[in-house]
Amino acid sequence: MRNGGEGRARLLLVILIVTSLFLITLDLRGVKVIEGFKQGTQTVLSPFQRAGAVVLNPVKDFFSDVTHLGRTRSQIEKLEAENANLKIKLLNRKNADAQLKQLEDILDLAGMAGYKVLNAKVISHGSSQSFSQTITIDSGSNAGIKKNMTVLSQFGLAGVVKDVYPNSALIQLASDPAFKVGARIAGSQQIGILSGRGNRSASLQLLDNSTTVKVGDVLLARGSVANRPFVPGVPLGYVSQVDNSAGAVAQTATIRYYTNFSTLGVVAIVVSGPTSDPGDSLVPQKPRVAPIPTVTVTVTPSPTASN
Amino acid sequence: MITRQISIATPIFLLIFVIQEAVISQFRLPGGGFSILLIFALTWAVLSQPEVAAVIGFAAGIFMDLSQSASGPFGQWTLIMLLAGYAISYIGYGDDNIHANAIGIVFFVVVANFFVEIAYLVTGALLGVSTGSFGQIVLTLFGMSIWALLVSPILLPLFTRLHALIFDSRSAL
Repeated sequence: MRNGGEGRARLLLVILIVTSLFLITLDLRGVKVIEGFKQGTQTVLSPFQRAGAVVLNPVKDFFSDVTHLGRTRSQIEKLEAENANLKIKLLNRKNADAQLKQLEDILDLAGMAGYKVLNAKVISHGSSQSFSQTITIDSGSNAGIKKNMTVLSQFGLAGVVKDVYPNSALIQLASDPAFKVGARIAGSQQIGILSGRGNRSASLQLLDNSTTVKVGDVLLARGSVANRPFVPGVPLGYVSQVDNSAGAVAQTATIRYYTNFSTLGVVAIVVSGPTSDPGDSLVPQKPRVAPIPTVTVTVTPSPTASN
Repeated sequence: MITRQISIATPIFLLIFVIQEAVISQFRLPGGGFSILLIFALTWAVLSQPEVAAVIGFAAGIFMDLSQSASGPFGQWTLIMLLAGYAISYIGYGDDNIHANAIGIVFFVVVANFFVEIAYLVTGALLGVSTGSFGQIVLTLFGMSIWALLVSPILLPLFTRLHALIFDSRSAL
């Protein structure tokens, strides 16, 4: 009896393992059923994610504010009761203002380059359990979004559309370890490949070893054929460190993305690219240092009464 | 009996999956955050017989593969979770020091959480999935383990009660 039970357990385990391997094989071979299954799940999930985003946005801001205001705890305690209602209103307003500011900046960026864009709100940040970096937006194929479209933040490249569902889309962030984009350095026009690292930094591998790169150089997207997945001229980031390892086939550098991926609230999807390459026109301007007026004091000897 | 167990367990899995995707995923937690579905499945696996734990792992793995953040091929999480469920249940099966002890269960869940992620990385590497720099991986692995250590004790009473409700065991803590 015991042997029979163990035999059944083993058989069950074998069946489950074979089923898993079967699923992996089907997916790797690109069988549509699996894709449809995932799409269906996302279609069902997106209303829940949208509701979650609406409900939890003030909570997220609240936690953020509490962290920053921790140093002035005594002051908060004093004002907390008095401001409870106002704070909720203010947080909602703050959230809306921040999103409006992001939207304005995105539209400025897109308008300067001649991109036609669609705006969308971020409704979910992907979990890191699979070591990937993704977000979900609240617009999908019904709004005209297609796979492999460029996604912008107000500072530059945010990612690329990875999967599209009727009312939502999955964006692969530029920080994702599997993300790669052709880049060129503004000015010198040297080209290379930029790869995500799982955080806000990325690695750049130059294609030509005879050229050099220096800290502070700005990187722009090279653009793809028919502007998909990448439109040309989008600011990516700047060189934060040059790796000069001896014997390397190609020069590499560490890049700091302009986009802060953890604060993305609104993004723009480029639905059609520019008619001509915007070149270096989107290179972010360096902050200008306001000249400090120099005060010149001229000492004039006061007339003394000599007589 | 099996029909009753499946009919109660399925909506629970569904609910936890929706909570993971619609609520937990809203927060970009430092250190990679945690997966409530993973913690739930591992807790149930610790409390169950090996063959039941394998089925629990299989079901949880299917949901994890359905998650939009799953970067590997469909079935990768399913395979890992079913093997992990079977393995941790097999190791702890019949040991009352683990089943009757909340600290033992939490310890098992946290360690299993760590090794499951490593298994995902290794199989991902074999299947050609990019997972980032070594430093980032180490940070995420330890971050997720710390989150699991913080979250598991809070969720443990609920998860064990649900397990007892479905499987009629005396494992509720």
